Formats: sequence, structure tokens, C-alpha cells
Amino acid sequence: MTAESAKEFEALEGQARALVALFGEAGYEFVAPAILQPAGVFLDQIGEQVRARSYVFTDLAGEELCLRPDLTVPVSRLYLERHPDAETEARYCYNGPAFRFQPLGPSAMHPREFRQAGVECFGASDKAAADVEVLLLAVEAVRSAGLRDYRICFGDIALFYALIDAADLPERWRLKLRHYFWRPPSFHVLVDQLAKGARIEPDRILTALGESIAGKSQQEAEDIVSAYLNAEGIPLAGNRTLREIAARLLDQAADLYADTLPKEVVTVIEYYLGVAASPREAVDKIAMIARGAGLDIDSALATVTARFDLLEQQGVDLSNATFATEFGRKLEYYSGLVFQIEVPGMDETEPVAGGGRYDNLLIALGAPRPVPAVGTAIHTERLLAAVGRASS
Amino acid sequence: MSAPSLVIAVPSKGRLKEQAASLFEATGYTLRVKGHDRGYRGQLDGLPDVAVEYTSASEIVHQLRAGRVHLGITGEDLVRETVPDVDSRIEFLAPLGFGHADVVVAVPECWLDVSRMADLEDVAEQFARSHGRGLRVATKYMNLTRRFFAKKGVTGYRIVESVGATEATPATGTSELIVDITSTGTTLKANHLKVLEDGLILQSQAHLLAAKRASWDGRAKELKDTILSALSS
Repeated sequence: MTAESAKEFEALEGQARALVALFGEAGYEFVAPAILQPAGVFLDQIGEQVRARSYVFTDLAGEELCLRPDLTVPVSRLYLERHPDAETEARYCYNGPAFRFQPLGPSAMHPREFRQAGVECFGASDKAAADVEVLLLAVEAVRSAGLRDYRICFGDIALFYALIDAADLPERWRLKLRHYFWRPPSFHVLVDQLAKGARIEPDRILTALGESIAGKSQQEAEDIVSAYLNAEGIPLAGNRTLREIAARLLDQAADLYADTLPKEVVTVIEYYLGVAASPREAVDKIAMIARGAGLDIDSALATVTARFDLLEQQGVDLSNATFATEFGRKLEYYSGLVFQIEVPGMDETEPVAGGGRYDNLLIALGAPRPVPAVGTAIHTERLLAAVGRASS
Repeated sequence: MSAPSLVIAVPSKGRLKEQAASLFEATGYTLRVKGHDRGYRGQLDGLPDVAVEYTSASEIVHQLRAGRVHLGITGEDLVRETVPDVDSRIEFLAPLGFGHADVVVAVPECWLDVSRMADLEDVAEQFARSHGRGLRVATKYMNLTRRFFAKKGVTGYRIVESVGATEATPATGTSELIVDITSTGTTLKANHLKVLEDGLILQSQAHLLAAKRASWDGRAKELKDTILSALSS
């Protein structure tokens, strides 16, 4: 839904100017990162699913480029260009186009070219305060545009991690559960498999190595693998090291003899993922589920509660807000708070604003150290449509 | 000369061209190149109102999709890779018994811990932890790969496009694994690659194909039936 008439264009520009002014007053510096981005950055970090939704092409010099599918990664890259040591606190705001291929064809609510106005806050060490600051800005932004009827939906990825950390599990299963959390269909298959102890039948090689490798140290395992490869005349290829191959064989061998995932843990995970309620109610439910299983996730829950307290103190009405543990499972770079602002009557896949905390992204983009980061983006065309609809 | 009643596109070079030619020869409707023997137009003996277009195997797919030719002969792999809305565009009339090639997922033989697609997601997780990025899959079959990996629940990867010598890329380090065609497996073996147990994406062969969007008048349908029954008998 690019602005196709002069009137629409002026309305959109006017709204964006007001949003950027608001962000500026809040201490966010206006930046304009490149629209053309190196494709590799997006593809390596965000994976093939985003590529399928991105305009990727090779230019005449052979460089693989893309039209930016969002602005969070480009703004993060800009931060790293300005602050390669990644030690500086910085706040940026932006307004500009992003591009996504729409497999079902572009439509008004799912345009292939759309505009985002937003903020990103890097390096703020008081994470709780930064979360609330960004959330408040998002709410203030949509309100200042004239939106009155909206609902905030929250999630928090850190709670799930806390739950998995608190449960008594081998580390290899924790890593798996964390990783598969982002892939809901495979996640349920995995939990099922671990619970039933339905082990995949070991293949020929693992059977041959299994007896000899189970229970060995990492070094011994590497020696066994190395000897096997030499004897068979198989060279190392494909960038994985002997260490990595041996480590996974050790895990697989351990699984052959391991107990199943305890029933209580399965139940806790299932109950946890079923929680969707008003914010306070959701926190109580999760606390009850964890306590019932003897798992201590109090500090993660306290963070969530403190966030809601702060928001209410700042005048944000949470009475029709929701908190869903499933929310945010599709965007892997989020690491804590996730939220979106929805408008009643518009589909939940069409929020007017969204955002969250992504503490792991900058290190993946090459930062020498982890950088706490949180941001929000406003889908300005949808916001304009929502405001227009409410007033007509 | 009047306009042809039916246009059929056949491969303009290589094994596919030769095998298509011998198939037609066996039916009695021998393929003849018009003019000098490097020409790109031809005819079928005994069917004077059929025009033959020699063109590349991949261009045949585009011609069929757009309905610019009535019939075509090319590999199923190219059709499934290139045409997202294949069911509404192209009809598979008959497999022709040549041009056999399996599109498969293959990983380095040294990956002793990997034998199934499900292993790949675990490897992707481990690889991202130690190398800071996802797996790279070298292939020219971007769409087949995406669909198959999605069906198998594998997400931690990206595709690097490869148009030649794909099987060498894991050894040179530009990819970790590949999706490629194989007929006997010799090339994969020589490059120390192994096919995953459930890594068969498509068993492809050359097909006689019909364009659903071409203009099918009575005579064109008649000719289609004639050619189909001759080729598939």
C-alpha cells in the first residue's frame, strides 16, 4: 500500500513526520540506513525463510544484495559501523521503506513495499527500564497518531529459557529444546520423542561406533572418529570440525542409553505453552505451574511483573492487554520481551506496531561483545488505515 | 505456409535432444530439422501441421507455463523447480523413460553423525553455536530445496546458488551440503558425499508435457492425442 495519490502521500508523510518528531524529543537520533543491504547478513542470521520473503539479487559486480526486509538489522549494522567496539549507548529512530515478497500476491494489508517508523535502543544496561521506555514510546506513537482503540499483546522468551534451565535435564536436551522452541511443529515432535524415549533407530555407523564411543571423553571420541575416517579414506569436508562431529556422536550415543524426558517436565512445558490470559493472570498461572513442578523461575517472573508495574505507573492501561507464552515464537532474534499493538477488527497478523528485545543479534552481526538491544517498529500504512477507519 | 495447428518444443542439445529424437524415430514420426542441421525449427514426418521448436530445456518450461507452445519435452525437475503454480499451468502427459535423475540432499561422508533430514536441524543448531551462522546448501534447485526442507522441518540454513560443479562445494568450503541431481551416484561418491536416507526430493525423468494455457482447438487436441499415444506406446 504505497501512497498512490497525492493526498495519501501527504497524510502518510505528515504522520511519519509527527512520529519521528516524537522519537526525536525522546532522545532518539534520526538515521537513514541503506535500503540496499548485503544479502549475506540477512541470510546467514535470519535464514532461508526470510530469503523466501526477500527481494534478493546479484548486481553487475557479482555482489549479492537485498532490498531490506526490515529496518532492525540495517539500523543495528549502522550502530556497529559507528561504534565498532560496541561499548557506546545509542538511541536511533528511522522512517523508511522495507520490502517483502508476498507469496499470495501483494494486498493492502500485506504490501510488498511498506514503510516502517521506529526506534532501536542499543547498549542500555538497565534492561527493564529500556524495555519500558521503548514500549511506552510505541504506545505514545500510536496514540499521538490518533489511535484510541487498541490492545497490547505481550510475550517473553526469557521465561521459557528460565523454565528449561530450572528443569533437571541434560544440557544437550536443553540446547535442543531452546533451539526447537522457535520451530513449533518440530518442537512438539521433539518433546514427544524425548518423552516416549522413542529413539530413532541408530544407523550403521553409529551402531559400529556406538559401543566404543558411549561414555568416552570428548578427546577419546575424536580419536575414534579420526581413526575411522582414516581407515575408510574419508577426508574432512563441509566446514564442520572433528570436534563437532565427535560431540554429536557422543550425544547420540548418550541418548541410546538415556532415560526418557520426565513426565513432569513434559506436563510443565505443555501447561506453560498453553498460557494466554491477561498479564497479571498469566504471571500467576505460570508461577503456579512452575511451583507445582518444584521449578524456581521466580527471578524471571519478577522481571515480568516489575515491567507491568512500571507500565501501569506510567499510565498504560493493561486491562485489555494479553500475555501469551506462544507469542513471539516465529522471530528467532528476540531474546526477552516481545510485544505487538493490535487493533480490534484487524487480523492479528496485521499489527500496527511490534517490537521486543534482541540481545543476541549484534554479536551475530559481528559485535565484539553482546549488546543489549530493544526496539519497536510501526507499520505506518496500517496505522493510518486504522486511524482512518476509526474516524470514518 | 499456413500457421501450424500445434507447436511442440524439444530440447536443442545434449542427451535429451538425442533421446527425444530416437523416441520419435521409433514411432515413425521422425524429427527433421528444417534448413541446415543447426536450425531451431523442425517438423515431424507425417504430421505436416505440427511445428517443432528446438530450445533449451529450461526455456521449454517457460514456454509451456506461458502457453506459447502446446506440448514440450523436458525434465520434471525443471518443471517443479521453475513453476510455482504448476497444477494450473502444465499437465504431465507421460513419462518418457529417459533423462532419469534423482534430486537428492547430500552431505559430506565424514559427517558420521548425520544420516537423516532430522539430523540437519540439530547440526544447524550446533553449527550456529560454533560458527556463528547457519548451514549453507549449494544448489540450483532453490524452490525444490526450500519446499522439501520446510516439509522436513529444517530451517537453520541458507541457499547459495550454484550452477556448476555443485558437488565440489563442500570440499572447497563454500557450502556445507548440497542438493543436486544424481543418476548413478558415482559423482557424489567421488566427491565423498552421501545421500541422506530420507533425502530423496524427486525422482525425475523426461516427460511429455502439455501447456494448459495454450489455445487448444479441435485439431490441436487431435494432434496431442496422436503424439501422446505414439510416444507412450
